[in-house]
Amino acid sequence: MVDVATILAGFGDAFTLWNLMFVLFGVVVGQFVGAVPGIGPVMAMAIAIPFTFGLDTLPAIAFLVGVNKGGLVGGAVPAVLMNTPGTPDAAATALDGYPLARKGKPLKATKMALFSSITGDTFSDIVLITVSAPLAILALRMGPVEVFALMIFAFAVLSGLIGNSLFKGIIAAALGLLAASIGADPEHYTPRLIFGHYEVYDGLPLASVAIGMLAISEILRRLSQIRGRMRPAIVVVETDDPNDKRVTWAEYWGCRYTMLRGASIGTVLGALPGIGSTAAAFMSYAATKAGSKEPETFGKGNLHGIAAAESANSAVVGANLIPLLTLGIPGSVGAALIISAFMIHGVQPGPLLFQDQGRLIYGLFGAMVLANFMNLWVGQLGLRFWIKVVSAPESMIFASALLLCIVGVSMATGGLFGVAVMLMFAALGYLMTAFGYSVVIFIIAFFLGPRFEISLSQSLAITNGDLTKIANYPIALVLLGLAVASFIWFLSRSKVDEADT
Amino acid sequence: MKLGRKILSALAATTLFVAGAAVAQDWQPDGDIKLQIGFGAGGSTDVMGRVLAQTIEEQTGWNVIAENKTGGGGMAMFTVISKMPANNNIIGLGVNMPVMINLVKRPDEVPFNLDSFDYVGTLSRAQLALIARADAPFDNLAEMVAYSKANDGVAVGFGAAPQKLLMEVVNKQDDAGFRFVSTEGEAETQKLLLGGQILAGYSAGTHVPYLESGDFKMIAVGNNARHDYAPDTQTFVEQGYNAYVDPYWFLAMTAGTDPAAVKAIAAAVDAAVNSDAVAEIVANAASSTPLNLGSDGTKKMLVEGLDNVRVLFAD
Repeated sequence: MVDVATILAGFGDAFTLWNLMFVLFGVVVGQFVGAVPGIGPVMAMAIAIPFTFGLDTLPAIAFLVGVNKGGLVGGAVPAVLMNTPGTPDAAATALDGYPLARKGKPLKATKMALFSSITGDTFSDIVLITVSAPLAILALRMGPVEVFALMIFAFAVLSGLIGNSLFKGIIAAALGLLAASIGADPEHYTPRLIFGHYEVYDGLPLASVAIGMLAISEILRRLSQIRGRMRPAIVVVETDDPNDKRVTWAEYWGCRYTMLRGASIGTVLGALPGIGSTAAAFMSYAATKAGSKEPETFGKGNLHGIAAAESANSAVVGANLIPLLTLGIPGSVGAALIISAFMIHGVQPGPLLFQDQGRLIYGLFGAMVLANFMNLWVGQLGLRFWIKVVSAPESMIFASALLLCIVGVSMATGGLFGVAVMLMFAALGYLMTAFGYSVVIFIIAFFLGPRFEISLSQSLAITNGDLTKIANYPIALVLLGLAVASFIWFLSRSKVDEADT
Repeated sequence: MKLGRKILSALAATTLFVAGAAVAQDWQPDGDIKLQIGFGAGGSTDVMGRVLAQTIEEQTGWNVIAENKTGGGGMAMFTVISKMPANNNIIGLGVNMPVMINLVKRPDEVPFNLDSFDYVGTLSRAQLALIARADAPFDNLAEMVAYSKANDGVAVGFGAAPQKLLMEVVNKQDDAGFRFVSTEGEAETQKLLLGGQILAGYSAGTHVPYLESGDFKMIAVGNNARHDYAPDTQTFVEQGYNAYVDPYWFLAMTAGTDPAAVKAIAAAVDAAVNSDAVAEIVANAASSTPLNLGSDGTKKMLVEGLDNVRVLFAD
């Protein structure tokens, strides 16, 4: 147990002017790169790490945490304003954020995203700071069999997003899983569908698929619709009602249960390494839609939809640090980069981290809390700036977004191969949208596919190929039961919806 | 003209300076040096590669840029390097095992062989260990085999093909009945060990703090020699199984690179590998020590390693 003096000393370290500057700088950089389509906070952290070589450990880590947190807030901006999410978790935000922005309320939509993102982030930070040790032990109990059951539960919940045509939804999911199976299989390392390209031996580059499917295909669609007169990419409708430009306290408070649910889903999934913010954002969104009294308003600019997605995906990032700090196990690429920064500064993560480096860890916690506040302030200013930017003519906005996506993907994947993959998936995304297949379902299946496969392979090895042994795993049984229940619930609801319409 | 004379003398001084620098160091890179890392950002190879690049830059004044070229444990990067025209600027950093396994298993599909490269040196040797929870009912391979036979098999975690192969040697020799649980790397292996879902697994260094904290113990050493931090743990060979894995981080350039460039870069890498900064990061990221076999030693290591891998894969 860390004593109080160490905790106070750690927080004291965080609140120096020097550290404050690095947190602020990190948040500004993070929000900027998050909002620019194509680069993203992970890329920014990878680039920034060498620049932290010369810094002390705490400012270096605080800076990276600032970039990571700022990126979360920034990531919602292109999703809401242009419907071009740079990361798949922001795609959930776009589902309701973009329709609201189209209604002439981009400030309201982005502010709701900002507030719920910070709410979710702060929630998971508080969990991390107070109860990370017991939560980490709980996460350890979630073995491959339980994670496998959790994945099935996730797929069942996500079936609530399939929409009108069950068959088209299943085809989109199957295509996503097919794309996820490209690369070496997890058990025998046999290359599948790589056609001699070792670049995809470890699977398709995630950035290429996500940005191609989500951002480029949308940009292509919008460019193809440009006719005649120049229009701004987004129109801010000037009304007399000031509430169209802000989120009122009543609206925020009305979303409290949505955000609490989102933050809880995000925190739980974040504490389990390797599942990720995409699943969290969409599960939270689907659960909120299912629990809503007016599910037909979702996808048309419902504030609850924005709050559900943003609170969940932001909560994942704080919770990803739970396995990292308690066990030395990174839960995501962003967390792995923070570990590498620890190593570069001579700190070895692992079970003794709190004992050996308690002051540093509490300094980091202090920096995280600071970063949340700064995110709020910088975000309030930044949103106005971004809305000004996207009020420029859409031919200019989309052309530059296209360029940035190409540059960003080429940087993230280390060359033009990734750009070629991105363009292929842009074409696929364009066609899928045109024929009414959900790109979102594809992306979710693609992102969950590898974890699903490896959990299945691990479960089979652990149970000696006998899946009836699953009866010995109570948590898995409960999750499977929940999966069946929610699948039936969603099916019956979609029947009701059809009857209504 | 005063100005003309000034320019002339400045030019003369510059020429002298450049000539002097050239005498001091035979070869200088023409532009940036790129250190291509065959693994993704955030991993141990990435971290060590970035510190190596930084150290070379500080020691030589060259501009060294580290970039990630992922795919197939370095195979994508080495494929590209083998195919490009000889140049004096691009160095690949990868691990020998994925390269050798692919050369042995899929020689027709791999577009290069060991002669496709000029070798610069090695950075370190990974210390591969078979570990188990501290409360596991076995302390060495013989006891582990016996326990596995008595209990319907022991679940063993592995994060890469050679680790599984090493264990299959034991399986084949003693019919131990080990079950193999594939993980995404040693971090996940350790999570499953701590959670009790598997009883044993492989780790290349990050387990050392857990030895100190008393969570894990070591069952066997995967390398050909024991590890400094655990001198009492025997190798697989010492425990009666004639197989080992020696993963090296090595650096290579396209074959046909100017010998003067290879020599100068190899010297720069050697100086960096022997620096305190690299020693510290190798200790932190891989719980190992820097080790440079040099240009010729690296090639020898790969040629001999290839024979060893053939033995491992022999059916």
